Amino acid sequence: MKHIRNFSIIAHIDHGKSTLADRMIQLCNQVSVREFKDQMLDNMDIERERGITIKSQTICLPYTAKDGKTYELNLVDTPGHVDFSYEVSRALSSCEGALLLVDAAQGVQAQTLANLYLAMENNLEIIPVINKIDLQSAEPEKVAEQIEDDLGLDRDHIQLCSAKTGKGVDDILEAIVKFLPPPKGDPVSELQALIFDAHYDAFRGTIISCRLINGTIKAGEMIKFMSNNATYKVEEVGLFRGVSKEPQKQLSAGQIGYILAGIKTISDTRPGDTITHKDRPCAQALAGFKMVQQVVFSSIYPISTDDYENLATAIEKLQLNDAALTYQKDSSVALGFGFRCGFLGLLHLEVVQERLEREFDISLILTVPSVKYNFYLNDDSMVEVDNPAHFPDPSKVSRVEEPYIKATILMPERYMGVVMALCMERRGDNTHYHYPMPGRIELTCELPLAEVIYDFYDKLKSATQGYGSFDYSLYDYRKSDLVKLDILVNGELVDALSQLVHRVNSRARGLHACEQLQREIPRQMFKIAIQAAIGGSIVARTTISALRKDVIAKCYGGDISRKRKLLEKQKAGKKRMKTVGNVEIPQKAFLAVLKSEQ
Amino acid sequence: MSSLYIHIPFCLSKCPYCSFVSYPGMDKLHQRYVAALLLEAQWLHQNASVSPLSTLFLGGGTPTIFSGRELAQLVSCCQELFAFSDQAEISIEANPKTINPEKLSLLRHSGINRLSIGVQSFNDKELQLLGRPHSAEDAAEAVQLARAAGFDNISLDLMYGLPGQDHYSWQQTLEQAISIAPDHLSLYELTVEQGTPYHLQRNQGLLDLPDEENMVIMDQLTATLCRQAGLAQYEISNYARPGYECRHNINYWQNGPYLALGAGAVGCVDGRRRQKTCDPRHYCEQIESGQSVVQEEECLERTASFRETVVMGLRMTCGVSKIQLQQRYEMDLDDYYGDTLIHLVNQGLVEITASHLRLTARGRSFANQVMAELV
Repeated sequence: MKHIRNFSIIAHIDHGKSTLADRMIQLCNQVSVREFKDQMLDNMDIERERGITIKSQTICLPYTAKDGKTYELNLVDTPGHVDFSYEVSRALSSCEGALLLVDAAQGVQAQTLANLYLAMENNLEIIPVINKIDLQSAEPEKVAEQIEDDLGLDRDHIQLCSAKTGKGVDDILEAIVKFLPPPKGDPVSELQALIFDAHYDAFRGTIISCRLINGTIKAGEMIKFMSNNATYKVEEVGLFRGVSKEPQKQLSAGQIGYILAGIKTISDTRPGDTITHKDRPCAQALAGFKMVQQVVFSSIYPISTDDYENLATAIEKLQLNDAALTYQKDSSVALGFGFRCGFLGLLHLEVVQERLEREFDISLILTVPSVKYNFYLNDDSMVEVDNPAHFPDPSKVSRVEEPYIKATILMPERYMGVVMALCMERRGDNTHYHYPMPGRIELTCELPLAEVIYDFYDKLKSATQGYGSFDYSLYDYRKSDLVKLDILVNGELVDALSQLVHRVNSRARGLHACEQLQREIPRQMFKIAIQAAIGGSIVARTTISALRKDVIAKCYGGDISRKRKLLEKQKAGKKRMKTVGNVEIPQKAFLAVLKSEQ
Repeated sequence: MSSLYIHIPFCLSKCPYCSFVSYPGMDKLHQRYVAALLLEAQWLHQNASVSPLSTLFLGGGTPTIFSGRELAQLVSCCQELFAFSDQAEISIEANPKTINPEKLSLLRHSGINRLSIGVQSFNDKELQLLGRPHSAEDAAEAVQLARAAGFDNISLDLMYGLPGQDHYSWQQTLEQAISIAPDHLSLYELTVEQGTPYHLQRNQGLLDLPDEENMVIMDQLTATLCRQAGLAQYEISNYARPGYECRHNINYWQNGPYLALGAGAVGCVDGRRRQKTCDPRHYCEQIESGQSVVQEEECLERTASFRETVVMGLRMTCGVSKIQLQQRYEMDLDDYYGDTLIHLVNQGLVEITASHLRLTARGRSFANQVMAELV
């Protein structure tokens, strides 16, 4: 155990976490040149394309230190977005230390702080690392001061590196061995293993990533999940080596590795849960376990109703690898059968949508995302509503509450004015600020979650020219004045476009939706009226004039193939449209309603 | 029925709306190109079993950029190599600026019996904007000369929906065209094709095209004036005196087979559609060294070909023959399309007669909407 170091890298998005991981992997010769690709630990296409980490990944690096001894370094790569902060906290609690990576040009950002707090809550030893020192705009001295003065970390421990060029990375490995404590734990006591992630493999079932806190585990043993008392027989245990898994005779206290136990559904494996032996259970579960909470809800429909079965299969498969996604059947008059899904946040929603479209080749329509509201009825009962379709009869409602978050925004001082204005515009409350470091403001604000999931992050980014960063946690429920905004196309209610909005914003949202639809619905052979309504009254209206002609003038022998392809393209476009009444509405019109005004 | 198309990819100048395979200049290549065409014709004669040709079409570019002698040589060479059926239709496209009495006489005597004159407009200002090298007067004179040379099947090409054009101007052009009693009219709404100077100008907002309302008025004018003149619409953009419909083009719309010679030309035989290399120089080199000039080949499977035939056939006013489809593909139109077709009928866009499926007058305005359902 003396030769094990479990650590994680925490950083603000784009500060170079994945690149640093890549360099460490290369330095420890864990991946051949042929196998190596950038962002080694980001398996999904979306992760690579967006440069973000969605799933945790673990890799075990054998490192021979300057003292001549070989250490087992377990690097746990964590997701880097506020949507996934619970996952991050579980991954962190499997480690004894963390590298706090800070961009030498950008300095400390909101997520740097948020992640540092998380790491501190988990009692991790921190090694500050200043990355991107090769940049012209790098100010390592200034950032080092921030780290010492503002974060209160020991300046002597700061490591300088350029993950891009590889400079300084060997020193970091040495510092990990030297400064991070080895894991504690008792290999002979009862088994206590922390689940911090799980992946689904079509051939082998669920692969659990776990940290052994106490005890040992080996193939053949019966194990039990403490949150739901489910029992399984262990088929294999092992370590993550490079791109592959390396089976071991056993895993023992202090180690990070994987467990295969013939688990068919990933939703049974909950991050934060404790694994113990069935016959010799530990006295109590590890602290910190929470059921994952979905905060954003949206319905997913296939554009072609024929695709419903495919969608059902696809969501089921996707959920195998994404336990944070919840779904249940839903139906819409306009769109037919689909699924009401719960997500951790908007990014999570986008990721799910992209994966369904990309990996399963299904064209989808998503309804306007909603948060979960509490409706208190006249008889004092309470119903939770996250779907406009279930909006209760207003005459029976005594009051409504909506979820609020506590947002933490870190930004250079000069943006204070615009950001304050943005928060106020979004019904922000109880704003406080302080200067965690000179020239930078940390603003805390209580905001309705519904306002944040809409477009808050985009607005914040543009208001602060990219310098503002943002983190949030659910806070409480507060009284709200909620209305259901409906959209009618040629007089027909398109239920999939209904949304729950605060009364204050309802007219503007209605007009916005009408304008977006006007822009995105192509002209058709008749005039189309688009209306937004609350209750029975119309609050906004736009019209799309009728198409008068649509014909290819010229088509001779040499044109046939090309013109046919144009028609086929037009046909494919029609396929991506949903017919409501007699109006064809393209998929992007549904999406446009979700987008904020530019 | 067999057709042959010969492409002449040269022009006096390139018009800003033109997306055809045609190049201005290259004068030095003309002779060599004619020789290459003759070589390719011989190759075709030796390698393909060609039934007697019922139509031959010399298109471009501007075929009449060549001398009367060169063109006559080309036609007579084809007549020597391939059998022609009685009453074969032999057409050539002409630019008013490239013809004179002697040339027309040579062409007529070589066996060419149909002349398609690219007039585009009878308004000099519009002609100038279109970059045409001729005037309205040149065009009118060309028709007279052609009649004098013995052409009794003359077609005029006109365009409408031009930049700056209103429906009064179009009416004048069309009336003037009708006044010189053509046997056939091809009336094209201007299409701004990708890769043309017009495309660029339009994207920059520099092309003042008539709005849709005006286009609809122009369409209505076109229908009325042609009907009054005894020119019946037989295809989306084509009108003819009875019996003067272009048989070569009808073959395209029936998705029939056709042979092709020349750079950029497209032929379709045995369900294989082949496009030849577009660069005339490369074309000559390949032909001279006995190598293939095929640049692209497409072969549709049966149902895709069926759909293409339906869509092409719908361009014609008479529509597509259900019996011919049945014979050619062993597929039944109604069965194949089912509800899609019924829906189009209910929308008043198509009608099904005992023998044909065709567009309604309303359907012709929305042909793409119909075709996009059936393609």
